[in-house]
Amino acid sequence: MVKGDAKPILKPFESIEIERITTVIEEARKDLLVMYNHEKHIHLESSLSSLEIIATLLLRYIKRSADPINRDWLILSKGHAAPALYAVLAELGIIPKSELVKINSINSVLQNHPEVAVPGVDIATGSLAQGLSIGVGIAAWIKRVGGGGRVYVIIGDGEQDEGQVWEAITHAAALRLDNLIVVVDWNGHQLDGSVKDIKPKDYIPFVWKAIGWKVLWANGHNITSLIIAVEEALESDKPTVIFAQTTRRGRVSASNNDVS
Amino acid sequence: MNGYKSFREELGKLLVDVGEKAENVVVVTADVGKSTRAIMFGEKFKDRYFNVGIAEQHMIGFAAGLAVAGAIPVVTGFATFIMRGWEQIRNSVARMNLNVKIVATHAGYSDHADGASHQALEDIALMRALPNIVVVVPADVADLRRCFEKLVLKHKGPVYIRLGRDYAPSITEDIEYDYEIGRAYVIREGHDVAIMSAGVVLYEALKAAEDLAKLGISASVINVLNVKPIDVEAIVSIAKKTGRIVVVEEHMVFGGIGSAIAEVLAQKYPVLMRIIGASTFGRSAKSHEELLSYYGLDGKSIAKTVLEVIRNRA
Repeated sequence: MVKGDAKPILKPFESIEIERITTVIEEARKDLLVMYNHEKHIHLESSLSSLEIIATLLLRYIKRSADPINRDWLILSKGHAAPALYAVLAELGIIPKSELVKINSINSVLQNHPEVAVPGVDIATGSLAQGLSIGVGIAAWIKRVGGGGRVYVIIGDGEQDEGQVWEAITHAAALRLDNLIVVVDWNGHQLDGSVKDIKPKDYIPFVWKAIGWKVLWANGHNITSLIIAVEEALESDKPTVIFAQTTRRGRVSASNNDVS
Repeated sequence: MNGYKSFREELGKLLVDVGEKAENVVVVTADVGKSTRAIMFGEKFKDRYFNVGIAEQHMIGFAAGLAVAGAIPVVTGFATFIMRGWEQIRNSVARMNLNVKIVATHAGYSDHADGASHQALEDIALMRALPNIVVVVPADVADLRRCFEKLVLKHKGPVYIRLGRDYAPSITEDIEYDYEIGRAYVIREGHDVAIMSAGVVLYEALKAAEDLAKLGISASVINVLNVKPIDVEAIVSIAKKTGRIVVVEEHMVFGGIGSAIAEVLAQKYPVLMRIIGASTFGRSAKSHEELLSYYGLDGKSIAKTVLEVIRNRA
């Protein structure tokens, strides 16, 4: 199912970067389990499913600066995976690691869904599909004024039941936003259960393609696979969506996955 | 009190004005560029005009993104269909306190021919429930001209400006005042009763005050164009002076301007009060004025209610 690009993407020294990303992911995964031990209300499985996607984008791609049009933006439209974002930000030293276990505490800045008050969080999310429209707006203005920044948006598969996704992706295609990359955490689950049981979504990649997006696939738990896809997306002359196949338990029990 | 101008024609001109003054002003619309006159901006500044198609929810989020990236987006659309993006205004705009300006046209009964589906009578209630957002209901085109540049270029943060379509009888054209966020303006002095209103029905409130004067009743008329934040001080001081308040609004009597004023008075200085507005959906008619009369928002109906209040039979 996963179709990677055959051409060599990684230069030899880049294996060091992959090791670094791997280390951060391993530590962040431990952080998530500790967080869950302290606070059962975090969305652990959705966080584990998005962990490698978030870490790979943050460590390898997202360049930050004070200039809104010449920096990159990471929008976690599936805001319930916030704990994974916080864990990676803590491993990068952007938020104190000691804060992680305080998530949802009355005096903690860490909310169950991202708020811009949290250092390293670019956009407040939590209401599905809205991060995607915001990403289209940022990318449109950057392109209109000739900035060099890119916008990365992570969305879920269940999220695509929202009509606003249709509104946003048709507009992004019409504007030919080649600086917009969407990564779909394609884990086969939505809140009430399996997408197969609730509303099958096998047609969704075809819809994005028909609208005018470049459609790529990746293994969402494999850093190299994600990098191969993002590198190809960076070369695209139209908006790109990467369907990253994942399981909700991430690599904690990857052998028992039930990816659709 | 004469001369009829159009809200949307004035809006088109004002958009071009702010567009000339600041090159990061952009206009966003959801396929109603012609109806709202946003197209006047689009024709002049093609690169700063975005028609997102018929997609109000995305329009709000898209504007939030433009604001994050440094633009000043002015979102234009029909008030009724902007309500469709209310949860986006809540979560994508107000929660991050983004500099998005929403100009809702065709509010109240102004889209008279299109009927109930198009007549927004709940939008003030929805918008004023949100933290951070400033809600303004200009009385006429002079009022709109007075507040527009301040709200778009000077004020940083989300704004909701509520306008009608064409019918905009001149009320404040000859009155001198500088617009300030959060202030109410006395446009007619009086001591027996105060009629508080905003939007085109302020004109009907004035007509009622003139009728009442003939009966020897001195009615004050207040322009409460700033619905949020509301002028607590002025409202309390007027209540102390007149002891009787009648609110006239082109909106449901649930959650609108009357409710906003009642919230102030119930907690600070309760007085005899009556709210005149809508209590059900609208309908089609041949003119905006016809609908105002039909629903009891004309000068004569208002004067009748004020008389009841004065005789304490409210």
